[in-house]
Amino acid sequence: MDPTRFLDVVRLTKKYGTFVALDDVSVTVGESEFVCLLGPSGCGKTTLLRVIAGLTGFDAGDVRLDGRSIADLPARKRGFGIVFQSYSLFPNMTVAENIGYGLRIRGVPPERVRARVSELLEMIRLPHLADRLPWQLSGGQQQRIALARAIAVDPRVLLLDEPLSALDAKVRADLRGEIRRLQRDLGIPTLMVTHDQEEALALADRIICMNNGTVVQAGTPEELYLRPATRFVADFMGTSNLLDTAQVEALFPELMASRPAEAGVRYHACIRPEHVGLRPDPEGIGTVRTVTFLGNLRRLEVETPAGSLTVETHGSVDVPEGSHVALSVEPRHCTWVIDDMGTAAPGGRVS
Amino acid sequence: MSRAVAGAPFRRLAVDGDRLLAAVCLGVPTLGLMVFFLYPMVIVFLRSITEADGGYGLANYAEVLGTRGFWRATRHSMEMGAATTAISVFLGFIIAHGLHRCAFRGKSLIRAAIVLPLLAPSLVQGLGLIFLLGRNGLVNRFMGTDLDIYGFWGLLIANTLYALPQAVMIIGAALVLSDARTYEAAEVLGASPWRQFRDITLPAARFGILNAAFVTFIITITDFGNAAVIGGDYSVLATEIYSQVIGQMNFNLGAVVGIMLLLPTVVAYYIERQASKRQEGQGGGAAVPFVPAPAPARDLPMGALSFLIAAAIALVIGIVVYASFVKLWPYRFELTFKHYAITLAGGYSSLWTTIYISLIAATGGTALVFLLGLGLRRAPAALARPIQMLAVMPAAVPGMVLGLAYILTFNSTATPLYLLYGTAALIAAVNFYHYHTQAFLTVMTGFRQLPAALEEAAGSLGAGLGRIAAGVIAPYLAPMLVSAFFFLFMRSMVTLSAVVFLTTPKLTVASVTIMRLDDAGLTSQAAAFSTCVMLVVAAALLGMKLLMRRFGRAGRATGTG
Repeated sequence: MDPTRFLDVVRLTKKYGTFVALDDVSVTVGESEFVCLLGPSGCGKTTLLRVIAGLTGFDAGDVRLDGRSIADLPARKRGFGIVFQSYSLFPNMTVAENIGYGLRIRGVPPERVRARVSELLEMIRLPHLADRLPWQLSGGQQQRIALARAIAVDPRVLLLDEPLSALDAKVRADLRGEIRRLQRDLGIPTLMVTHDQEEALALADRIICMNNGTVVQAGTPEELYLRPATRFVADFMGTSNLLDTAQVEALFPELMASRPAEAGVRYHACIRPEHVGLRPDPEGIGTVRTVTFLGNLRRLEVETPAGSLTVETHGSVDVPEGSHVALSVEPRHCTWVIDDMGTAAPGGRVS
Repeated sequence: MSRAVAGAPFRRLAVDGDRLLAAVCLGVPTLGLMVFFLYPMVIVFLRSITEADGGYGLANYAEVLGTRGFWRATRHSMEMGAATTAISVFLGFIIAHGLHRCAFRGKSLIRAAIVLPLLAPSLVQGLGLIFLLGRNGLVNRFMGTDLDIYGFWGLLIANTLYALPQAVMIIGAALVLSDARTYEAAEVLGASPWRQFRDITLPAARFGILNAAFVTFIITITDFGNAAVIGGDYSVLATEIYSQVIGQMNFNLGAVVGIMLLLPTVVAYYIERQASKRQEGQGGGAAVPFVPAPAPARDLPMGALSFLIAAAIALVIGIVVYASFVKLWPYRFELTFKHYAITLAGGYSSLWTTIYISLIAATGGTALVFLLGLGLRRAPAALARPIQMLAVMPAAVPGMVLGLAYILTFNSTATPLYLLYGTAALIAAVNFYHYHTQAFLTVMTGFRQLPAALEEAAGSLGAGLGRIAAGVIAPYLAPMLVSAFFFLFMRSMVTLSAVVFLTTPKLTVASVTIMRLDDAGLTSQAAAFSTCVMLVVAAALLGMKLLMRRFGRAGRATGTG
């Protein structure tokens, strides 16, 4: 058994009528890996998660766990844990009863359930809430209890469906840390669906970027951010300057050397705003249009004869609006990406 | 505020005008509740303790409690209430569970069948059963049996078919709240379908079931129509009041029986309100509505049962419509319109009168509950709370008792209120106050959802209360106002218990005419008249659905656009 393929989704296809929700998708999760499914809404990531959970059927392909197919196993026999965006605690059960529910179903003796529940309540740092009912709790508390409920049964895989999306920014950041800590401590293979690239970057060992029911690119957060394969990924993973060949020739001709020369493919140069060098120069090619102060950095819109660029600078470069600047990019900071958005339907841009 | 007053004297006038208007909004409906609900209820209580010599005492109670007839009627009412409640809640849960938790086709047929009993006076179930199982019923005629449907069993079936839809709606409302994700979470945790039912569905429906039980109990023990038509010798409290008042002209003893019927109703109503509150406290709303996946082992039996029960509801009403066209039930089944040529009991004039009365009750009633909601919003809590309590009280009062209270109050020359006796306005009033609670709560739901910012925005633009009410609040509440209007109209069209004491030879209403036709042995004409009433109410219901659909579309348009 390949430990990097503990959960193995093989060439999965799922259709709703004529609409193809998942088109030949393959995904793996390693034995204690944290994988994020990232993509805009409607890209098929939630459908994929539900297929893996066994809550939705599929048309072709296979889902394997530890080398064995679980495609015919109903959801309740898969031994997974799941957390939804909407918390979904059992409204009529106390916090302790919610967390112990999966154990009770498995026929675990009451005293062992009690012990496990208090252990988990300690783990999520809410031991004082054992006897509350869900509606008496905040969203963040409910979601931590939903997390405890899912891991109480030592799930073989933990599935998280946008678990942080319904929460306030502050609570979201806290719970993000909590999820990461628990997952590391317990080593549960975890698959999380999110549309928030920042969340994916912060949490995942590996990110699977999806669009239009297909996997566009899979890799570590660094790979996806620094070496996006396509324009969609570059665009989705944070802000970037995407320059077509003509623009690159006009602005940064030295970057042309690295351009792949495959016929019939349109390439763009992807340059992150923090990688554009900038210095005041009355003869410079760019004109600063706007400067936005963001605390630790400044974001500038710089206009050039070949279009405008977004540039981020740290510290003390003094370039007021209207001043002229010279621009430079180191070749190692330029990634040539395939233009997959001109032909396919444009994906939603979430950033 | 102080600057506005100092800077512009006419603004101050406007503010005072607002205050006056708010006082009127609160005052007029409250006065109405006092005069047309509280005062008559006090009168009926006083009459129950008024003795033959004019003094107060418990002699009437002693007399009533000393009779075997009263205890028999009480025992019957409780037995009937308990039996109907048990069956209605059980069958109601099956249908509600079928509609909301199972996957099968034709649910709209069941939903339509559930609505049918709302279209007709509650004596139609009795009529239908007589056509089906009575001495001259289909079963006796064609099976050669000798069934006697009058009495306990006939009344039990009639009451169940009448109360069942209410149980379905209440339990259904509890089931529809649950969240699909909760079931999926349980599924992934390993819960079998049976455990999901036991651990999620049943607890979620708990308060709905409790609620439905008390509502069906109240409906059953306070209903008069079916008891009068098919109860036969099986006397219940509602028919006992009727026979004391109409049969023996003994108003004080009737008042005593009324008070005795009021007691269990008030208790049941109080518990029901508490249960409703608990349910509201629990409901967080469904994030993702539950859509049942097909499961033949569950769906086939549940679907079959649901259809069977719904068919019984529809059959008993359908047979009334059919019988109204049949030449001579159950011997000659040629179709004819001759039963529609009604001359007895004033012919169709009572139908037109009822429509007229129902329009008054609906228009006036909707306006009054709107004003009351508006007034309550601006009233201090110390004032608002008791008025709010008064506004929800009428639901605890059986129609028979309210009707009796009205005749005791308005047929007495002691006050100028006597002038109202025998007028359509008084019958409209009794209908409105009989159903005041439901109309009030419907409109209050709208007021609760109304964002305070909307009023404040209009107010800060310089609009006075009148302008805000007409231009901002009323359009926002339009769906609730429309449903309150149609609710009052439809209930007024079919109610019997509250108006049976108030009709006079010159002024009578449709449901009373149907009862009289049935009493006179003209069952087919009673069926014809019932069919006409159902047509009017069905048309009203259709009108409401169309209007509501337009609101729905407008709401969606503004929601997305």
